[in-house]
Amino acid sequence: MANLKDIQRQIKSVSNTQKTTRAMKLVSTAKLRRAEELAKRSRLYAQKMNQVIAEIAGRINCSKVGGIDNRCFNKIEAPKMVDIVFVTADKGLCGGFNIQTIKAVKALIKEYKEQNVKVRLRGIGKKGVEFFKYNEVELFDSVINLSSKPDKKRSDEFIRTSIMDFKDGKIDALHIVYNGYKNMITQELHVNKVLPVDGDSFECNDTHSSLLEVEAENEENMLDSLVNKYVEYNMYYSLIDSVAAEHSARMQAMDTATNNAKDMVKSLNVQFNKARQAAITTELIEIISGVESMK
Amino acid sequence: METFTLEILTPNGEIYNGQAISVVLPGEEGEFGVLAKHASLTTLLTTGVIDVEKEDKSVEAIVINWGVVQVDEEKVIILVEGAAAIRGANESEIANALDEAKKLISDIADSSSAIASVSAKIETAAQRLL
Repeated sequence: MANLKDIQRQIKSVSNTQKTTRAMKLVSTAKLRRAEELAKRSRLYAQKMNQVIAEIAGRINCSKVGGIDNRCFNKIEAPKMVDIVFVTADKGLCGGFNIQTIKAVKALIKEYKEQNVKVRLRGIGKKGVEFFKYNEVELFDSVINLSSKPDKKRSDEFIRTSIMDFKDGKIDALHIVYNGYKNMITQELHVNKVLPVDGDSFECNDTHSSLLEVEAENEENMLDSLVNKYVEYNMYYSLIDSVAAEHSARMQAMDTATNNAKDMVKSLNVQFNKARQAAITTELIEIISGVESMK
Repeated sequence: METFTLEILTPNGEIYNGQAISVVLPGEEGEFGVLAKHASLTTLLTTGVIDVEKEDKSVEAIVINWGVVQVDEEKVIILVEGAAAIRGANESEIANALDEAKKLISDIADSSSAIASVSAKIETAAQRLL
């Protein structure tokens, strides 16, 4: 049986860990609330943005022969090079949050490799970047400190490279992979194909388009400019959503850790009491047998 | 006066949502005003100032860096990328708002004349509040 002092030391260490995990859980809960609020407010913008794009794209699709003359809306039959942007957290201790994203990215890369498509990997977030570097998977570029503090300007700058390359024909598709927030206890993995924009979802919508007055030669320009913003916004939203998910994952992981620590302290306490009892019993036996032998 | 619903949305949430008598927008090809019952219209906005005339006839200036507006007969929805409203309860709040707005345009606008004209506008808007 372990030494009394050893057990005591272990109890102390485990309860200290418990304090840390509990504090981390509380911090994540507070941060989650803020992140969730931001994501909720942002969703409104997304809805309207999609509406406007769908309306304009739908109009051009219906009125013009040959559909939309913009690379972003046309299906690309045989892609040669694709961009995969992934978003992971900068910090660990959040359960399977990062590894899920990494697994999804790996699966996507494999899928493309089988079709002989080159993949250009762009990473956001320290954990994912470190993982791929360690495994010697080539990263085209990466940023850290962006996924923990989403910033519209920096995210725009980052994704603009992909948009430009897509428009120049250097890449043929753009995917954003991230782990998004679903509710307090679940995260949802998103693998979004951002470019080319799925044109099939824009139907000819006569009821609304007849009301709309857009200068004809402007439509294409407008669409082009809107697509940029659409992709930029998608990137930004992925970051916001990912932050919310990260905090919810961490909250859960830390809750489990706190509970485990609690159980451990409990069993250690039992062990400690048993050891103490045994020590007392031995001492008593020693005294009694001493007395006995004196008689 | 007849009013219409005006919504100004940014990726970080709503910046204005309420009734307005008129709104002046910095369109790509020049400024234009919108009153209630305006014909339907969708167009792009560039860096500039949105002047909102509210129900109580007070005018609020909101600086934007890019936007798209969707006008229909009862409602005007403006999606903007970055926006800063010139508003505040006291002098220091207004000064803060002004700084924020100036930062926004200096980040985006490429020509100095555009920056100058927008900053002149927001300065006047701020003066009006003081």
